[in-house]
Amino acid sequence: MPDTEPIARSPIRIAGPAQIRFGWEVSAVRSTAALRLGDRTPLAKVLVRAAPEGRLAAALGVPFGLAARDDHATLVIGSGPGEWLLVGPPGSSAELAGRIETADDALVSVLDFTHGRALLRLTGPDGARALAMLCPVDLADRTTPDGAAFRSAVAGLATDVVRDDVDGTRSYLLHCERSSGQFLFDALLDAGGEYGIEPDGFGYPENSVQLFEQVAAAEADGSAE
Amino acid sequence: MFQIPCPHCGLRNVAEFRHAGERRPRPDPRTATPEQWRSYLYTYDNHADWTRETWYHRLGCRRYIGVERHTVTNEIRPVS
Amino acid sequence: MSPLATHRLDPQPGELLDRSRPLSFTFEGNPYTGFAGDSIASALAAAGVRVFSRSFKYHRPRGILTASHLDPGCTVQVGDEPNVRAAARGLAEGMAVHAQNAWPSLRLDVRAANGVVGRFLTAGFYYKTFMAPQRLWPAYERVLGTFAPGGRMSGAVDTLAEYDQRYAHPDVVVAGGGPAGMGAALAAAQAGAEVMLVEQEHELGGHLRWGGPAELVLLQDLRAAVAAAPGIEVLLDSVVVGRFDGNWLSIVQRDLPHVEERLIKARAAALVVAPGLVERPYVFAGNDLPGVMLGTAVRRLINLYAVRPGTQAVVLTANPEGDAGVADLQRAGVEVAAVLDARRGEDLRRALGRGGVTGVETADGRRVACDTVVTSIGWTAPTSLLNMAGDRPWYDPSAARFRPSDDLPEGVLAAGGISGDGTVEELVEHGRSVGAAAAAGHGAAGRPAALPVRAHPERFRASTHGIVDYSEDVSSKDIIAAAAEGYDSSELVKRYTTATMGPSQGKLETVNTVAVLAEATGRPIADLGTTVWRPPYAPISLGALAGRVHEPVRHSPMQPWHEAHGAAQLIAGAWIRPDHYGDPQAEARGVREAVGIIDVTPLGKLDLRGPDVPKLLNLVYVNKWSKLAEGSVRYGVMCAEDGVVMDDGVTGRLGSERYLMSTTSSGAATVWEHLENWLQTEHPDWQVHVTPLTTYYASINVAGPRSRELLARVTEGIDLSPEAFPYMRVRTGRIAGVDECLMWRIGFTGELSYELHVPASYGLQAWEALLSVGADLGCAAFGVEAQRILRLEKGHLIVGQDTDGLTRAYDAALGPMVKLDKDDFVGRPELFWQEQLGEQTRLVALQPVDGTIVPAEASQIVRRNAIVGRITSSRMSPTLGRSVCLGYVEVGLAEPGTVVTVLLPDGRRIAAAVQPQLAHVDPEGERLRA
Repeated sequence: MPDTEPIARSPIRIAGPAQIRFGWEVSAVRSTAALRLGDRTPLAKVLVRAAPEGRLAAALGVPFGLAARDDHATLVIGSGPGEWLLVGPPGSSAELAGRIETADDALVSVLDFTHGRALLRLTGPDGARALAMLCPVDLADRTTPDGAAFRSAVAGLATDVVRDDVDGTRSYLLHCERSSGQFLFDALLDAGGEYGIEPDGFGYPENSVQLFEQVAAAEADGSAE
Repeated sequence: MFQIPCPHCGLRNVAEFRHAGERRPRPDPRTATPEQWRSYLYTYDNHADWTRETWYHRLGCRRYIGVERHTVTNEIRPVS
Repeated sequence: MSPLATHRLDPQPGELLDRSRPLSFTFEGNPYTGFAGDSIASALAAAGVRVFSRSFKYHRPRGILTASHLDPGCTVQVGDEPNVRAAARGLAEGMAVHAQNAWPSLRLDVRAANGVVGRFLTAGFYYKTFMAPQRLWPAYERVLGTFAPGGRMSGAVDTLAEYDQRYAHPDVVVAGGGPAGMGAALAAAQAGAEVMLVEQEHELGGHLRWGGPAELVLLQDLRAAVAAAPGIEVLLDSVVVGRFDGNWLSIVQRDLPHVEERLIKARAAALVVAPGLVERPYVFAGNDLPGVMLGTAVRRLINLYAVRPGTQAVVLTANPEGDAGVADLQRAGVEVAAVLDARRGEDLRRALGRGGVTGVETADGRRVACDTVVTSIGWTAPTSLLNMAGDRPWYDPSAARFRPSDDLPEGVLAAGGISGDGTVEELVEHGRSVGAAAAAGHGAAGRPAALPVRAHPERFRASTHGIVDYSEDVSSKDIIAAAAEGYDSSELVKRYTTATMGPSQGKLETVNTVAVLAEATGRPIADLGTTVWRPPYAPISLGALAGRVHEPVRHSPMQPWHEAHGAAQLIAGAWIRPDHYGDPQAEARGVREAVGIIDVTPLGKLDLRGPDVPKLLNLVYVNKWSKLAEGSVRYGVMCAEDGVVMDDGVTGRLGSERYLMSTTSSGAATVWEHLENWLQTEHPDWQVHVTPLTTYYASINVAGPRSRELLARVTEGIDLSPEAFPYMRVRTGRIAGVDECLMWRIGFTGELSYELHVPASYGLQAWEALLSVGADLGCAAFGVEAQRILRLEKGHLIVGQDTDGLTRAYDAALGPMVKLDKDDFVGRPELFWQEQLGEQTRLVALQPVDGTIVPAEASQIVRRNAIVGRITSSRMSPTLGRSVCLGYVEVGLAEPGTVVTVLLPDGRRIAAAVQPQLAHVDPEGERLRA
């Protein structure tokens, strides 16, 4: 019987040094390029399904098409009609799921998607231009401002796209089936070539001050390592 | 490429959808005659006019939506 | 003309040349120089070259006609790139340019003999020649192939990465960057619109560029305004090639430094079509001789490229632009030997010469010596993009051209010369008002009126016959002959003669074709109408259409291990799977004798939750689901409404209202959509959530007599004893240190086996742990091929392999699964009728009498010459040491022991015996229940 803790692996392989953080083998590559593509798969991802007009929907407060951070700094994405995706720090999926109040709705499903989906972050002023090489949806501010969420094809792959700017810099989260994560990652790197895109490992801050603080705290008490 | 106004996602390219066919009621499986059942399976009106259709938004909200489409011009309007 | 003579003029006010940057290149192997800013054609013309190519059918020498994108005689090979339009492509250092369609050389073309036997290639020759006898077609094809137009390609495909594509959502796309197009873009941008201004040439300006000082000043002002305007994206050397439903535009962009071409898919709120006018050639004998050119060609050569087009010219003019051409020629030092004014009834009869113009014969019989003949006889409005939007142009005899109609479709507008005539200021102003309307999104009511037209003589053909379509080598005689044979409409004559089907897509040829047809049929041009223009507007490369290929692929979490261990890849839909690791027969034996593991991650997995899941299962499966206990799994078969087998798999009950359904790998998406369809459209009241979890789990099937022993070493929290965990049960526990793993006891391979579903991020960890702790048990990985062998030995069918689009449940020997006592399930009526009438074919196991022969899958089963069945699966069985099959036979042949005849692809007939049951190995199922 193996007695070591299991190591989780993202579907995305980035050339260069790797390290173990939060129980995940992640790339230690760091980029300061103006356009960066990072693997955010280790973030906890929880899918919630409930009636679009029910009490839980009202409590979550984010309809399909929008994304916002709640009081716990969890990113709540309205990812479909009656469907939400919660994104939080690595290892927090049980906690995220536990906060969902299921009693008042007829039928609520809460599923941990952490291991079932890949999550990428594309950050930089040219992010929309790079993404427009692959995605038919209008990425202009007037149609998809910060906080907009939609599902469409990116490089022919069904992908949830969330505009989630970081300190005023244009940034997109891209969420797809885990099995096609590497494909999407490679397609975005190719599309961003003319804008000098570089791969970026799983580092912190995860483009958000609040999340950084949470993770720093988790690391400090050793619970995440 | 024409667009379909998805009630959940907004105006999207038709390439995101799968055509699920004309809207036709399913006969009662306990009483349907072979003629009725096979008409349900295989016979399409295919009018050169407005038709009621179901489209599946496979690359979007994953909802089956009803629309009216003019088969000559590809104009689309929501089911009235 | 001496090849040493230079035709380069002193610097011209509007020239494009950068004389500080000379460029060297070769044409037909000979060295030449030009300047940056030259086109290939202008550089050659400056050096005195007049013959650029041979024509497509008759191999007649051809030179510059239009000096533009449309020039039919200037298609050349540049390096490895064929079909380059030499009058449009910018000259670059080191280009190796060759003529096309010239063998063995441009000067001595043996196929020019075609001109002598011209009757051989008359109208409709495609349909009349080389048709019979059919057995000679391969020989005909070889002959025709050597005459086919076009250049050469090396076949190297490493340039695909040089093409890409992007999506765009501009408010207004302006097709054409002349005075009206620039005016439209400026006005639209001023109104706040995001504008794409698309110009086919290398710079904005259109015909302003070859105008006088006033036009050049206006040009500079407009260019400066465009450059300063926020919201205008200028695309040069680019073209709107198609307009589709909803103003979905394809634009090919060539002015990018890092890619050869980019296809832009633009969804525009408004399209402003502003291509100006195209000068129309004149039909007369000798009108394709090198030295015969259009007035606009002369003006381009002189003013843009500082090239003197010839030494002695005769000009036929019908309009002020033609008169301006005369002035340009004189300024360039060309001796204008005669000006024939069509407005006064003067005309040409023919151009004289062989291989080049030596003179003309006028309509009144005079002969004038010259080396250049210039015609300015009329204009064509290139209405293609408007046509693609559904507009039908109408013929205006006063302007001698077709014009756009007044009721253009919503979101499509015409500006400038295509709309009507005017001074350059009026064209700009028209563009401005159209651009403002486009930005404002006005309906048809708010649109500016078309420009008026000025009177123009209607002159299409002289008294002699000449070329109508230069690209396709179609003459006016051909069109008259076609009309006489009954091809008397525009569309028929186009297809019969191929006129207008060449690279310029009718922009030079359509009106002359229709005019000659009108002459031949005695019907007015207006009645005949034009042919319908379709995309593409301009020739485009296949690379631009292909762009970057984006075909999503899927990998399991164990892919790095498979790659490191030499797996042969199997592409199954989007999935990349290990087919085998070298020896599939040995892999299969390992499973029967010890234990093996296979990566089955692609198996579809759907999470089903809610109180009404049993209703859903009862609806979509043919069997019953109401009494499935928690912790149990059951095999189910799904049929479509026509009773045809759609998918199969096991579904387990994990909790009171929680189930996990598995589907075939290829059916995962289809089944999910199928379930959603029933829930959303027929039973929206049912409380069920269906959520795909296929890639949430890495799935590993552990199979073989020692699988329990192996799993005992890595499993915590699950009692693996046969009593506690029997066949067709599901348990949850910790495997290889990973929590929340599912374990199903099922057996596709026919062995004692467990299917593990491990959270995918830990899949590789679990996989490697199983191999590591099981090494002493003989545990090895097996691939899809070994699994196919094992399941065939066991007689388990694969939907899609052992069934097809006509196989209903009873055919596939699934009758016992079908529970017709259920009130309803998908496909029930068809299956009820099939059960009553009896099936006609049935799935059976077959063994060839000679067990060394493995009949190819899809081999026919025959009775004499009648087909009575087919083999659907066949393999050599490592367990039995003989070949085994599944297949369909007519019901009358399905009795065990029946010997049938299998027709092999090589024509041999072999005997095969129908087996008593589908399983070749362990029919009692003792192994999988061990």
